[in-house]
Amino acid sequence: MSYSGAVPTARSRAMVRETRHLLFSVAPGAVWIFIFLVLPSAYLMGVAFMTNGPYGLPQMPLSLDAFERLAGVGFLGWSPGNLYTLLRSLWQTLVSTVLVVIVAYPVAYYITTCREKWRPILLLLVVVPSWTNQVIRAFGWMNLLAPGTPLSSLAESLGLVAPNMGLYPSNFAVTLGLVYNFLPFMVLPLYAAFEKLDTAQVQAAQDLYASPVRAFWHAVFPQTLPGLLAGTVLVAIPAFGMYVIPELLGGGKGMMLGNLVANQFAGSSNWPLGAAGAILMLIATFIGLFAMRRIGKRLGGGEEVVI
Amino acid sequence: MRKRTLARGLAGIWWVTLFFLYAPLFVIVLFSFNSANSTAIFENFSLAWYRRLFGNEQIINAFGNSLVLAVSSSIIALVIGCLIGYGMYRHRHRKLGWLIVLIYLPIVLPDIVFGISEMAFFVQIHEWTGLLQPGLGTMIIAHVTFQIPFVALIVYSRFVGLDPTLFEAAKDLYASPIKRVVHFMVPTIKPALISAFFLSFTLSIDDFVISFFTAGPESATLPIYIWSAIKKGVTPEINAIATLMIGAVAMAAIFSMLFNRRGRR
Repeated sequence: MSYSGAVPTARSRAMVRETRHLLFSVAPGAVWIFIFLVLPSAYLMGVAFMTNGPYGLPQMPLSLDAFERLAGVGFLGWSPGNLYTLLRSLWQTLVSTVLVVIVAYPVAYYITTCREKWRPILLLLVVVPSWTNQVIRAFGWMNLLAPGTPLSSLAESLGLVAPNMGLYPSNFAVTLGLVYNFLPFMVLPLYAAFEKLDTAQVQAAQDLYASPVRAFWHAVFPQTLPGLLAGTVLVAIPAFGMYVIPELLGGGKGMMLGNLVANQFAGSSNWPLGAAGAILMLIATFIGLFAMRRIGKRLGGGEEVVI
Repeated sequence: MRKRTLARGLAGIWWVTLFFLYAPLFVIVLFSFNSANSTAIFENFSLAWYRRLFGNEQIINAFGNSLVLAVSSSIIALVIGCLIGYGMYRHRHRKLGWLIVLIYLPIVLPDIVFGISEMAFFVQIHEWTGLLQPGLGTMIIAHVTFQIPFVALIVYSRFVGLDPTLFEAAKDLYASPIKRVVHFMVPTIKPALISAFFLSFTLSIDDFVISFFTAGPESATLPIYIWSAIKKGVTPEINAIATLMIGAVAMAAIFSMLFNRRGRR
């Protein structure tokens, strides 16, 4: 027998008050994000399953056309264009992440070897370029790599690129732009890992005549794994969805998934196709986050991975 | 001996990386003072592009739009985000998993998906109701959406860092909740409020992708203006405006360095 509601006790009244407080404080923001982000994303996902109308706008019968188009099935039979774009996105993400790691390791380690009072300034020097707008940074590379510039002439005289083509627009320029853009996001977590490094282990390895490579691999590398993991989350996931850099530095042949998606809402309108691409990007993002979390937990340093 | 070569190698990599990081910015600054309309050959020093810049009404408008957008969205996000931050703190013992998911959503969503879903949604709503015409209004909505989580998390972590008994003391001291907010809450979390505001402001000023997709024809911000100028064909005028923006960042860097120093003393 319960008579809740009939006679409000002091305790239940406090509960009601607390719940009302929770609602008043949290509701505006929660409703805002729900209306202006959850609903739009849900709408976009719905669009992916609709048919492409005459003006690129979604139309009713529900279908899987958009996903077939994404896989390359078109009016004129199968063409691999969209699949190439997908593969290129994956490849660019992989290559640029690996390159970022290769550059970031010595840079982060170098900063830890410097005097303590210099370290914040050195870190700041690494981070400051990323404070400028990404459009401007990409524009800087356009200036550096365009045909006729010293770098392009050098590459031409070495026979790396065809004459008068320049280094931009190209896939190489996109990789370079991605590395440039994301380097600080790897240096910072790696630096944090290096700073906490237990040097006794390194000392022990050296005392036991381990070669520098083995000492690094067995004594240093495992300790920096949480930083590496955090950095990979911060680099690989946004790199996969990058829009600005491939658009400015890549040209038609350097397109990535982000450009494929965006183009369907602008020039060659096909909203359902664009939405299907967006779903793919979301799936990749969540798989990436999930995988990193799993690996992080298995390493035991899960809480250090900032997600 | 071997140690010394390692140290030298590291220093070498450091300087090369630094060169790599600053070369594109340096080129922009250099060619903004070029008298010729070229980004390959430097002819003579000139301020011609800066003069043209200040006569260009579109750029002035874009700058104004950037500022209006950043300030108004930051203020709205500050109010809403603060409320969430406090609610999360006060009710942290409850199960608020759904709220955490909601708050992290704008952070983890790739910005292209973010921008496009908002744009598609706004267009559809506009078709049905006539509301949400693309322009500064839709941009402010989009910016507030990605700023709220940052404000909420900053405010929340400030509250968590406080001594819980302070809240009891404030309750004893001030009877009315409003007085408690004005005389206790706001002053104690003021540093968090200030940093949340500046973070929101910076995120908004720096954003390109989300603004680009939610903007209307009249509401281009500075990054959008630069983008379309690049797309139409490069002029050194862009170098000039970009140089001014790089200068602003350099100032911010110097300030943060000085601030850092003083903070540690």
